[in-house]
Amino acid sequence: MNTNFDYTPSELMAVAGARELQDRQVVAVGLGLPVVASFLAKKTHAPNMTILFELGVIDPEPIHPGVGLADPRVWYRAKSLSSFVDILGTILHNKRVDVGFLGGLEVDQYGNLNTTLVGDPRGEFRHMIGSGGANDIASCAKRTIIIMRHEARKLKKAISFITSPGYLLGGASRAQTGLEGGPSRVITDKAILGFHPETKQMMLISIHPGNTLEDVLATMGFAPIVPSQVPITEPPEQEQIRLIREVVDPLKMYMG
Amino acid sequence: MSKVTTLAEAVASIPSGAHVALSGFAITRCTMAFAREVIRQGIKELTVSQCVGAMDADLLVGAGAVERIVYGGGSLDRFGRLACVNRGIENGSLQAEEYSSLSVAFRYLAGSLGLPFIPIKSLRGSDLMKQIRERTGSNVGTITDPFTGDDWPVLKPLLPDVAVVQVQVSDEEGNAWIMGPRWDNVEQAKASKRTIIIAEQVVSGEVIRQNPEWTVIPGLLVSNVVELPFAAHPTSVYRVYDYDAGQIENYVKATCSPETLKTYLDEYVYGVKDHWEYLERMGGMKHLNTLRADPVLGY
Repeated sequence: MNTNFDYTPSELMAVAGARELQDRQVVAVGLGLPVVASFLAKKTHAPNMTILFELGVIDPEPIHPGVGLADPRVWYRAKSLSSFVDILGTILHNKRVDVGFLGGLEVDQYGNLNTTLVGDPRGEFRHMIGSGGANDIASCAKRTIIIMRHEARKLKKAISFITSPGYLLGGASRAQTGLEGGPSRVITDKAILGFHPETKQMMLISIHPGNTLEDVLATMGFAPIVPSQVPITEPPEQEQIRLIREVVDPLKMYMG
Repeated sequence: MSKVTTLAEAVASIPSGAHVALSGFAITRCTMAFAREVIRQGIKELTVSQCVGAMDADLLVGAGAVERIVYGGGSLDRFGRLACVNRGIENGSLQAEEYSSLSVAFRYLAGSLGLPFIPIKSLRGSDLMKQIRERTGSNVGTITDPFTGDDWPVLKPLLPDVAVVQVQVSDEEGNAWIMGPRWDNVEQAKASKRTIIIAEQVVSGEVIRQNPEWTVIPGLLVSNVVELPFAAHPTSVYRVYDYDAGQIENYVKATCSPETLKTYLDEYVYGVKDHWEYLERMGGMKHLNTLRADPVLGY
């Protein structure tokens, strides 16, 4: 394998996200890295995957980057343009979404996500974006993948507000509220994490090349489960990096 | 029957304290000209609702016209947050009932169908659910499925007094076409007691009858039709014009503080007599023409 080329942590995150997706799956996407991961998967191993945007967009093929889901640039060449009730209702709520991508301000060890506020909800706080379709995707997708920066202030023991449910208090607590699915992966710029099958605590899966276990743990606000052997994340292939830079996100709108 | 009227008359039909569903989504098809006229007429204490908070609601909140917002969170996409809505929530001057996109859509859907409530999978286990219970007492409940015995959260229907929907095309009766995604707009119109259509273009009834399958809001739900070009400016209308990035950035800067917002409102809302004067202040046709959508791209 040729490893004689550079890639950024964001590019590795996008590639790791793409590797989680399979052909013919239905994927609910927000903007940012998940868009890059999804289009990369479609251009490589998953050409028959279906991409959904919550406001009513199925399988667009944008040729210009957009500023958000409200930008008609990201609706271009869609196969269907409909509504929330269609996408989040008849597709997502009806269990037809295989994978949902989620990001957030904060995540805790059970994969619960906060996109609502920072601070104390009963005292001083700053209100941010809120849910949009995130709570719906977290509640109804067969599984979700969380994409976050690896920082102690984002990977926290206690988050200020649960906007979107992960495994709630761990163990069987999610299932007890009547929710199936749940987060399966957390992809950061330093590592890939999963969740323990019983306790539902976050668990290290692999560490990205160039990072140490000490650094990965020191930059988290809680201690994840660390298996005795933690492999190195498989680096991107040169063709994947070429596609990201030349085809999927040439203007670096999503990769920053 | 023609329901065509002026923006001023359509807005004057809305009393202070009404619940208004707005058609905007972040920075697209926002009811901007409508919001500016509501502010000029001094209508207050509105409840506004929409699945995803948008620039129309933010401007109304910033100008002090809104008492309560029912929404699923929102932003101005990459341009910024809903600064006025957020500030109102932070300092307590705005009552916020905050859901997810689908829960608001389901509340409209229940309203549109005349159902007493609607079960939903979303919101379970979240602090959104706790907060809605605390703030409203009764807008969410739990019911046992009589067929399986499973417990389900249920939501009350959302029944706005009026939906205000920005569309591309309508006839005089209000048979309206929405091109591109429709997010919650059709359910908003169908859940509301009546609908005001703001159309970029009013066409003859014959145009509608030749392509009736494009009609997503039937005129029988519509009380007023207002024909107004660039009525969503500075937000976009798919296939008609693009968003005006410079003017959205201008708004984002202005909403950083109450002082700069006041200057903005004085210049672009109170300082103009009507929508036509607003368009002139924005640079008139010479500038607006640069925003015209490419017919293939739609933006």
